[in-house]
Amino acid sequence: MRLTRRDRLVLFAPVAVLLTGWLVLPALLGLFATFTTYAPFGVAIRFSGLDNYAAVLRDGEFGAAVRNIAVFTVVAVPLELAIGFALAYLLRRPIGGRWLWRVLLLVPWLVSPVANGVMWRFLFGSATGLIDFGLGWLGRPDIPSPVGDLRLALPATVAVEVWRIAPFVAFLVLPGLSSIPSERWEDATLNGASWTRKVLDVALPSVRPLLLAITMLLIGLSLGTFDGVLILTGGGPGTSTVTPALYSYKQAFGVNDWPTGAASAWLIAAGVIGAGLVYLRVARTGQSG
Amino acid sequence: MSGLPAQRRRNGAARAILLTAALAVFMLPLAWTALAAIGLRANNNTRPPSWVGSPTLDYFREVGIAEPSFWQELATSTVSAACAAALTVTASLPAAYGLARSHFRGDRLLTQGFLVLASLPAMAYVIPLSDLMRRAQLVDTFAGVILTEAAVTAPLAIYVLQGALSQLSSEWEEAAWLDGAGLFRVIGQIVAPLAAPSIVATAIIVFVLDWNLLLVPLVLTAGEIKTIPLAMSDFFTFERELEWPTAAAALIISLVPVAVLVMVFHRVLDRFALNVPRVD
Repeated sequence: MRLTRRDRLVLFAPVAVLLTGWLVLPALLGLFATFTTYAPFGVAIRFSGLDNYAAVLRDGEFGAAVRNIAVFTVVAVPLELAIGFALAYLLRRPIGGRWLWRVLLLVPWLVSPVANGVMWRFLFGSATGLIDFGLGWLGRPDIPSPVGDLRLALPATVAVEVWRIAPFVAFLVLPGLSSIPSERWEDATLNGASWTRKVLDVALPSVRPLLLAITMLLIGLSLGTFDGVLILTGGGPGTSTVTPALYSYKQAFGVNDWPTGAASAWLIAAGVIGAGLVYLRVARTGQSG
Repeated sequence: MSGLPAQRRRNGAARAILLTAALAVFMLPLAWTALAAIGLRANNNTRPPSWVGSPTLDYFREVGIAEPSFWQELATSTVSAACAAALTVTASLPAAYGLARSHFRGDRLLTQGFLVLASLPAMAYVIPLSDLMRRAQLVDTFAGVILTEAAVTAPLAIYVLQGALSQLSSEWEEAAWLDGAGLFRVIGQIVAPLAAPSIVATAIIVFVLDWNLLLVPLVLTAGEIKTIPLAMSDFFTFERELEWPTAAAALIISLVPVAVLVMVFHRVLDRFALNVPRVD
């Protein structure tokens, strides 16, 4: 095409300024600061090597946060993908009012993580909540709210996040599935393919790059979980639902331990960048093969 | 042949049942909340559980009493999310065009790199950012919040827009180049109108992301600029809990603007596509 090197420079300039100033530069300066004793209102700054990271890794609460987020990601992301794909698969052929379906798929995601936390706190609660209402009709006694239970808090947090995100995944997968030429489905039907074969041989290969991209976004979203738990559980009870992002925030702004806050935040970034490198590799091999 | 009408009907019925069940699961919590907002609450202390209250709009008024600046916060959220979304799209469109219309070593990698950047949680960089913004005197200003939100969402916008632009035929652009049109004329008068549905869809999704963002305003403001998620989290972290129907009303109010936006523009929303079947 006609775009010269100078054209490209002009085209990328606005985004380069925005991303450098508000994302890359803070991230890198932050990384640099984590190897020192720097804090915003601190006086003496000296090089401290890996001390901040050692302090974070020694902290039992951070260990709990890493375990929680590992479980959260390993359970929530596949569930969101599977439910989202299934919903999109059911909606792939034109049905009456598909536009309405598409809008409805977006609605849970329109609820902010904060509002979602507020909502489920009450829905899980006993006096006017949804769960106990259902149990009451089944003649079962009330149960205490799962978000207050040491063992049930994390599964409840996962369930709430899946409720919010899975339909959004369906919204993202739907255009990919409905753009598959109808002959491909008909061929499969003529060959007597069962619906599992259709999913495996027709649907999945066509939307593979799309699913990979969605997986990347979901992993980042999950590893950064912050406002979803802030209101619902606040990280409790104990440390049963604390996440690394919540930990970083508390360290930096709650107890004013800026260095460990920034260092632990960089460990989250490292996790996402690691996943990103895997993604870049997988996305490329998928393209050539 | 497809002469299996019985099987087809059975499949259709199975699909309808599954979809209805899914609809119930995903909509019931919100319906419950909407009912509470208009004063209809479950009472789980009776057996079987019953309903109490009569329809009223009092709780919507109650929101403004419990949080006197709620309506102002609604305006703040609207203005900051709208400005941030506009800035994101304006800055991302030229870059997306540059990616879509040029081939250089690693262009594909750069595009995928933007998706990875879009996945990076804001927590990874807002701690040092808050310090930089304080030094630049941008804490608690609209400019600080808007610029940061724009930076948070720009990578996703670039990724989606470059996918949309690379599917456009370049015929019209070629003609405009031949007529001697400049770079920004081509983008403004040829590319933008042709890609308008994708641009609007991206702007709406980005607006919703900004509307719901908590961490950026939480870290970069000190009370002057207050958005709805911030106000809601204040209520439930500072121990002055709202009553359920009032909280439900606040939730419904915060949901309505984005829901209306999505309804109005539903026709273009499927243009927000993450797949990049690049035309080579």
